[in-house]
Amino acid sequence: MIQSSTSKPQKRPTKGAGLPSSTTQKWLSLLNNDSSRAVILQAIVLMLVLFGLWFLFANASENLNRLGMTFGFDFLQVTAGFNISWSLIPYDPGMTYWRVFLVGIVNTLILSFCVIVVGTLIGTAVGILRLSDNPLVSQLARWYVEVVRNVPLLIQIIFWFTVVFSTLPAPRQSYHLGEWLFLNNRGLYVMTMESTLSWGWIVALGVALITALYALFRWSKPYYTLSGSRSTGFYIGLVAWALVACWAIWTFLNSTSLSAPTLQGFNFSGGAFLPASFGAAFVAMTVYRSAAIAETVRAGMQSIDRGQHEAAFTIGFSRVQSLRLILIPQAIRSIIPPMTNSWLAATKDSSLAVAIGFPELVSVFMQTSMNQTGRAIEIIFMVMGFYIFISLLISYLLNKYNDSVQYKVR
Amino acid sequence: MDDLNVKNQPALKQFVPTPPRPPRKSERGILGTIRHRCFNSIGNSLLTLCVATVLFYLVKHVLDWAVFNAVFIADNRRQCMDISPDGACWAGVISWFNGLIYGRFPVDEQWRVNIGVLLGLVWLLPLMSKRIALRNFILLSWIGLYPFVGAYLFLGGRFGEELGLVHGAMTCLALAFLTIIYANWILSVLGKKGLNELFVPLVSRLVERRIHLLSFVAVWLLVALVIALGLSQVSLEPVPIERWGGLFLTFIIAGFAITMAIPVGVILALGRRSKLPVIHWLSMTVIELVRSVPLITVLFMAVTLLPIFLPADMEFNKLTQVLVAVCLFAGAYMAENIRGGLQAIPKGQYEAAATLGLGYLHTMVLIILPQALRMMIPNIMTSFISLLKDTTLVSIIGLFDIMLMARNIANDKDWVGMHTEPLVMISVLFFILCYSMSQYSLNLEKRLKVDR
Repeated sequence: MIQSSTSKPQKRPTKGAGLPSSTTQKWLSLLNNDSSRAVILQAIVLMLVLFGLWFLFANASENLNRLGMTFGFDFLQVTAGFNISWSLIPYDPGMTYWRVFLVGIVNTLILSFCVIVVGTLIGTAVGILRLSDNPLVSQLARWYVEVVRNVPLLIQIIFWFTVVFSTLPAPRQSYHLGEWLFLNNRGLYVMTMESTLSWGWIVALGVALITALYALFRWSKPYYTLSGSRSTGFYIGLVAWALVACWAIWTFLNSTSLSAPTLQGFNFSGGAFLPASFGAAFVAMTVYRSAAIAETVRAGMQSIDRGQHEAAFTIGFSRVQSLRLILIPQAIRSIIPPMTNSWLAATKDSSLAVAIGFPELVSVFMQTSMNQTGRAIEIIFMVMGFYIFISLLISYLLNKYNDSVQYKVR
Repeated sequence: MDDLNVKNQPALKQFVPTPPRPPRKSERGILGTIRHRCFNSIGNSLLTLCVATVLFYLVKHVLDWAVFNAVFIADNRRQCMDISPDGACWAGVISWFNGLIYGRFPVDEQWRVNIGVLLGLVWLLPLMSKRIALRNFILLSWIGLYPFVGAYLFLGGRFGEELGLVHGAMTCLALAFLTIIYANWILSVLGKKGLNELFVPLVSRLVERRIHLLSFVAVWLLVALVIALGLSQVSLEPVPIERWGGLFLTFIIAGFAITMAIPVGVILALGRRSKLPVIHWLSMTVIELVRSVPLITVLFMAVTLLPIFLPADMEFNKLTQVLVAVCLFAGAYMAENIRGGLQAIPKGQYEAAATLGLGYLHTMVLIILPQALRMMIPNIMTSFISLLKDTTLVSIIGLFDIMLMARNIANDKDWVGMHTEPLVMISVLFFILCYSMSQYSLNLEKRLKVDR
């Protein structure tokens, strides 16, 4: 074994008989020198990686040639020709594969967004209940978390789909809530409002109204904090705002008509539709995510010093007040990093809806489109690219937010 | 100024703490605790009553369905429905039980699966004993050698024919190693020298150095030779990989992922912490890319892209592709756990190792990694649990693991449409496995804390 030593004495040429010649020694000293060894090691690793990549691509091009296939994204302009059971953006079989990709992305995002929002709310509630003094409540919350966490998500999704949503009654015997809601084994039908105005205008108007109200309060605040009462200008503004709001609501109601789901033959028409697969995936993933989030919330709450809790009680805060003003603001700091991971996991988990045929990205693009076009490399590249993009985006945004709530150290 | 007069003052009174007030009578005992914690206010009382009612009905319905109204003996689903329409039909699950455990493994050969799993457990048994030195080596040998024994038993075939010669030789060496472990254990209990010392007198006459190692190798080879002679007489029926399934396959995938996760994770984590930019960036790219895509896309990638990117004359079965994918996936997640451990090691440890003159490899293997791995045991166990749960995803790409077997029961003509019972059954199974793993990890965490 070569003893590692400083390279200095070995650089001096030695002329004694029986010792290795000076050129050999020069090479050996290169190996023993830290910086030159680093360069050599990295060069070797880089060469191995490049060779591996070259090997893979050589094989790929040979295999593609043999199968008579080419590489390229031109297939995205080809008509897809298959139907997608549910899509938020308009889609029909005459559209291209690029549209299929977009439909998959939108469905994936909708599903994960709903799961993240509802899962976080339920999870936070369960996490706080878990710390309740009432043993019945805290144990119930504990076993909810344990059971949900220790059963694979895939089993839960399939359970909700095959056992709960598929055994709902047929459309003719649907459960219904007046003419508003119909729940059957195909999914959920909801009454919608259809407006002659464009939705963009309606949303813009709503946002403008809320912003105006906020601005009004903001503007009158300095006067209010100084005098303890509102200024006359504030009341005038409020009345003007209310008039505009009444006008907006009146116009909106005049321009809209209700579209109720009605039974025609064996199925409903009109209204909005959510398929049973969406319901099953949504419920299963929300339950699963809420258990994970409950654990992070509990850990975050427990990481706060007990003294904070006791101090809040001592100065007479109620339980809700101490949670809202003392505990949660401190717990947020340690909850955010694991919460980020949980949300990322929710986005990735949405791909499991492929098992029950919900048309999300993996299902419509990685399964159906890949089977039809055979463009495996391009499709996998695009799907993975999408997930990587989403992951990087969410973690970037939440890192920003995380930086803003951490303790400021000067 | 007061300080100067201390001596003139009378001696300070010793502080005597007031003993804590005993709990009120109404708070003592079981009834007192219940009253104090469940019914201390109107709101809390209402909450308790609501939760208790909900729990009561939930438990009653579940018990009615699963036990009291359930059917345990029936020939098909129709019969079940006739006996009890609103209870579980466990008869279907019982008749498919064999399939859930062994998949489509031939019934006559299932003893081999039992023996193989048992052998794996027996191999790990010495780890429990404090009497045995070098327990790490037993774990290493399990990781390195046991797969050959397992594959031999599960695949079957004769030496040199269906079973390659290398594989056969490794199987014999593995079995020989196991024999030596157990012989040494028994001999040490009896207070005698280990089996590996058998040739020491002979070897010491021939050479001067490394006597014990050479003796061990000689004994090992001899035992392996004896086992090889024995095994060459046995011929096991070959079972193709396509027939593996059920819980057995789930355990193979999870076991492979768990054993490969640590070495792959260590390499990636060390690479990511490396100061050499090329290695750092390569490891980081691999870790981040794999961690930001869902497992199901990695599995799809393995199944569709591996045949394209590797030479056309290489043959694949789905299991190998899945194992490659799962290994990469598990390794990337494990790398982040291990990196957390590495970052928590104080800098003094590195400096102390450098002072002792240890190189990079020695520093890592002897000083840093043992501490880092130990610190991260809870997280590593959590990863293992999620790996076990994630193995169910292989059913989506068509491997007959326990999930797909359970779903297939509904396609059996006798049990058409029976979804609930198999799903509940495997849910309970996974719950028991994962819950006991998590409790074990909590236990381990507590014990390690005491150690420190």
